[in-house]
Amino acid sequence: MKIGSRLLLLLLQNAPYVLFVVLLVAFGLMSDRFLAVANFRNIIIQAAPIAILAIGMTFVLLIAHIDLSVGASMYLTASVLALYFTGVPWPVGLAAVAVGGAMIGLVNGLVVTRLGVASFIVTLAMLFILRGIAMWLSNTRMLMFPDAITDLNRTALLGIPSAILAFLVVFALAWVVLHQTPFGRQVYAVGEDPEAARKAGLPVERITLACFVIAGLCAGIGGFVTISQIGAVGPKYGDQVEFAAIAASVLGGVSLFGGRGSVAGTVFGAILIKTVQNGLNIINADPYIYPLVTAAIIFLAVAIDGLRTRILERLEQRTIRPLSEA
Amino acid sequence: MTAVPPVDVERARARPTGHLRLARLVLSEYFTLVLCALYLAAVYPFVPEMLTAEVAANVLSDMMPLLVVAIGQTFVLVIAGIDLSVTAIISMAAVVGASVMTGTGGYLAGSPLAVPGAILAMLLVGLAIGAINGLSVTRLNMPSFIVTLATRMFFAGAAIWYTTFHSASSSIADLPAGFTAIAEGDVLGVPVTVLIAVAVAVAAHLTLSRSRLGRHIYAVGANPKAARISGVPVARTILITFMISGACAAITSVMYVSRMQTGSPIVGENILLDVIGAVVIGGTSLFGGKGKVLWTVFGVLFLVLLDTSMKLLGASLFAIFIIKGGVILLAAMIDTLRHRLMATR
Amino acid sequence: MTDSHPARTPPLLEVAGLTKSFFGVRVLHGIGYSLRAGEALGLVGENGSGKSTTMNILGGVHQPDGGAMLLDSAPYAPAGPGEAIRAGIAFIHQELNLFPNLTIEENLFIDGFPRRSRLIPLIDRAAIRRRTEDLLAQVNLDLKPGTPVARLSQGERQLVEIAKALGRSPKVIIFDEPTTSLTRREVDRLFAIIARLKARGIGIIYISHALEDVMTVCDHVTVLRDGALAGGGRRQDLSVPAIIAMMVGRSIDTVFPPRTVRPRAEEALVVEDLSQPGVAEAISFSIRAGEVLGLAGLMGSGRSELARMIFGLDRFARGRISVAGRPLENPTPITAMEAGIAFLTEDRRSEGLLMGFSVAENMVLTSLPAVAGALGLVDGRKVVDTAVSMARTVHLSTEKVSDTLVKHLSGGNQQKVVIGKWLLRQPAVFILDEPTRGIDVGAKQEVYRIINQLVERGSAVLLISSEIEELIGLSDRILTLCRGELTGGFERSPGPGPGFDREAIMTAATGVAVARTRTGTRDVA
Repeated sequence: MKIGSRLLLLLLQNAPYVLFVVLLVAFGLMSDRFLAVANFRNIIIQAAPIAILAIGMTFVLLIAHIDLSVGASMYLTASVLALYFTGVPWPVGLAAVAVGGAMIGLVNGLVVTRLGVASFIVTLAMLFILRGIAMWLSNTRMLMFPDAITDLNRTALLGIPSAILAFLVVFALAWVVLHQTPFGRQVYAVGEDPEAARKAGLPVERITLACFVIAGLCAGIGGFVTISQIGAVGPKYGDQVEFAAIAASVLGGVSLFGGRGSVAGTVFGAILIKTVQNGLNIINADPYIYPLVTAAIIFLAVAIDGLRTRILERLEQRTIRPLSEA
Repeated sequence: MTAVPPVDVERARARPTGHLRLARLVLSEYFTLVLCALYLAAVYPFVPEMLTAEVAANVLSDMMPLLVVAIGQTFVLVIAGIDLSVTAIISMAAVVGASVMTGTGGYLAGSPLAVPGAILAMLLVGLAIGAINGLSVTRLNMPSFIVTLATRMFFAGAAIWYTTFHSASSSIADLPAGFTAIAEGDVLGVPVTVLIAVAVAVAAHLTLSRSRLGRHIYAVGANPKAARISGVPVARTILITFMISGACAAITSVMYVSRMQTGSPIVGENILLDVIGAVVIGGTSLFGGKGKVLWTVFGVLFLVLLDTSMKLLGASLFAIFIIKGGVILLAAMIDTLRHRLMATR
Repeated sequence: MTDSHPARTPPLLEVAGLTKSFFGVRVLHGIGYSLRAGEALGLVGENGSGKSTTMNILGGVHQPDGGAMLLDSAPYAPAGPGEAIRAGIAFIHQELNLFPNLTIEENLFIDGFPRRSRLIPLIDRAAIRRRTEDLLAQVNLDLKPGTPVARLSQGERQLVEIAKALGRSPKVIIFDEPTTSLTRREVDRLFAIIARLKARGIGIIYISHALEDVMTVCDHVTVLRDGALAGGGRRQDLSVPAIIAMMVGRSIDTVFPPRTVRPRAEEALVVEDLSQPGVAEAISFSIRAGEVLGLAGLMGSGRSELARMIFGLDRFARGRISVAGRPLENPTPITAMEAGIAFLTEDRRSEGLLMGFSVAENMVLTSLPAVAGALGLVDGRKVVDTAVSMARTVHLSTEKVSDTLVKHLSGGNQQKVVIGKWLLRQPAVFILDEPTRGIDVGAKQEVYRIINQLVERGSAVLLISSEIEELIGLSDRILTLCRGELTGGFERSPGPGPGFDREAIMTAATGVAVARTRTGTRDVA
């Protein structure tokens, strides 16, 4: 039984990679434009904002919470930037959206930790509240961004496009924080077993709060990269990107049950999702099936996570006698 | 033979009375009804029309579709799950039903079976999506909120896609008069929609409070471990509640489609907050094991009063977003407060 | 016991006159013991003898009501676990407190990573690797510090936990049942480590039911019984039977109601060769109608797991179960109930009751069809009538059956609700797992009376209990279970007297080799 479970586990854990290879082959066979180097560059540029968002989401998922408000947070911070920070140099703009996003994350985190309300319902409510505020501020108009910001999209440093650069910086920072700082390792401990973490003397509430702030911060930065790419935002901006972010994380191996996964996996997940969308685009698929495909991918990712968690629980079950006198 | 009397632990008595009174109000069955009255009193100076017969009739007719879908949601919340896919079920059922009966190219166009066939198809859509949700939760160990978010996204997209095969415009019109009569007709002066909603509410009330299934649902929601050990078929009970939620959403879809006289793939899009908000503010707990159909009736009344008054005040969509989001947040906070109060009593 | 030693050095730890009460019930009556540096003290006693409370006081989890502790000749009174750890007391719990998703080195330093510099919060990986390698070497664990804990066996995880304790330079290490899930080889390795720790001058407190292990590891043994010292001494002066005699002692006699019937001939429950890797090994027994079969075993012996498998809650790899002659294939709780089995679980709050529901609602949950009226709907009057009449049977006040929530009842009354809920089904086989845990004396008597009524009606009862008195007072036969295996079977001897040899039962339950003959257990089964 244990060997069978381990095999199934191995299969489940590698399913996204298998899927990626299958997709590459399938899309490659359907269009010769797909496997071009320029297209991969495109995929990564397109994936950058989602990847940044998903990296933030990873922190929240690692502690077994969720943030459904990141898309709305992007819209609100973008609206504030367009309306009240006209003509500022781009670093100030970036700082503004990053701080704004972090503050929204702080509110989410405070409601979750102080009042003990389930995070999905808090952030679902926040999704509507933030979107409502943004629509109110912008009067649901399209908001345009100055060249100072949109020019960034055409800028490159050492041949690396700015979007990819931003993504690499966020990725590197997140990796270092999660793997090389005490806080990062404690995030994993809290996610694995909050009770045990509390017993070990870890500040569980403060760590939870910090993860929500990081998710908000990443939403701000990811939103800024998106703005530089698209130049204008309307009421549909950021709609449902939280799903793409969750899907990216979970596809990359981050568990909704907490404690498992890494930002490297998340980045892979973001690229996988964008590859699908890019491939559908290149083979001229019916645009109506895009959301269907995205939803199916999320479903698949979460189903894999659910089964994997159940198997892991079974494998970790305490025994009262040795399994074998080896 | 001396019977040992039960020892009541009434720690609440030791609390200060002000605190106790507030706790009692928050825990009361009629908390939401009190909230409705307070709200009416508060907005009355600004919108005196609220108390006219015309507005009252509107409130009543607006309540019906929301009530039915909210009742379905009540079942899922009682087992400590959540069904966020109801809006997509409403949309999907709407376009499937319309595609069956529409006069322009419907599968059963012109047939006397068009209307019953369409309604049956809509119910089947609801049951099927509910079954997908339920099986994903029980068989695949997926958290219900994320399952239903995914199916919501999928079927909302699928509804739009489906429409493109059956209509050149964005929705499927030309529905038979027999169907649109559901929204307009009445029996002895009572609107048909009210009759349907009352029938659903009574059936749901009996199921939850009187049937074996109802007992199982509460037991699973309160303590799935103890329920399993008491011989409750936990997985099957969870599956059934999701199917009930799907079927209720389909009935709501029937009401909306007949009122709008067209099968639109975005008909359900904007009511998610109203459904969750109504059930939770009504007092059904997100923690499971607690909830009543009557509470949901009160909760729906509150949401519709809120909605109507804001429309009369000329509030915009975004104001409604903010306020309803706030209502959910508030309802969830009250729920948590109630949960904690109960735990200490 | 220290008297026999020449007092060259003062003891490392000296504890005297500890008293402690919980909710007005005194659980410790002046416990004292002393521990020298470099020595191991075995702490033994039955469940509920006060071992855990004594150790929780040492570990700072509880504060004593009276008594004094001296650590290194200085007064020691920790206000919390953190203070105890800082004072040099390390506690290796039975339930290991490791995070399997992190590596060994991360687990060792999770609550205080060394940083590269004061300003930058980066973990000094080189430092923790060095220190982890050093600590792992001290426990003879040849693993890379970067290995995820999820990949380690139970035994290896335990050594990691010891390494973690060593990282805080402890003076005293407490081991709580450390060998439960270890293989023999892992046990030997653990004992070698403990010997090395002793050689380094660390004091060891070793809590275990496995008395042979205690005799192997410890220099002194202290025996607790009913919250008081029951004896002890140097290892050389003690033997396993002597320790068991001290553990069992003669406690206050509970009066067990007399039973008038004898077990019938027909077998109500037959279990054959029930096995599940890591949980149970080839368990076979049967219970006759009208018989009480007692199952003795220490905590973690697999008693509850066995009950859960029979009731269809846990899977088993091999074996057959039949009820009243009919086989019960792949049981689930539903099929087990249909076959006539009832199961009162050990944990009444989380598995037995819906705490926020009324007495009546809880009672009828297992027999809803019986209270259905027209249209199959639950008939509220029938529910109340059924519950009221059952409340009378179990001697529960009938007044508040319909509106009192069970969470407002006392433990004893809650237990009566659970019993009543199962009696409504008139079970052929009733499995009772710790039916009197945490309830008062009066309620205990009621439970005993109900058990007698049950067998008089012809039901079979499988009684699991940590209180050996209870098993002896109620059972027709007693089986002992240790580490998932049956280790002995005892028939009630006719005539006056207790009917069973308590010490023999304890010996078999602690797994001492005497009773470990397979054939012996088969005979009684």
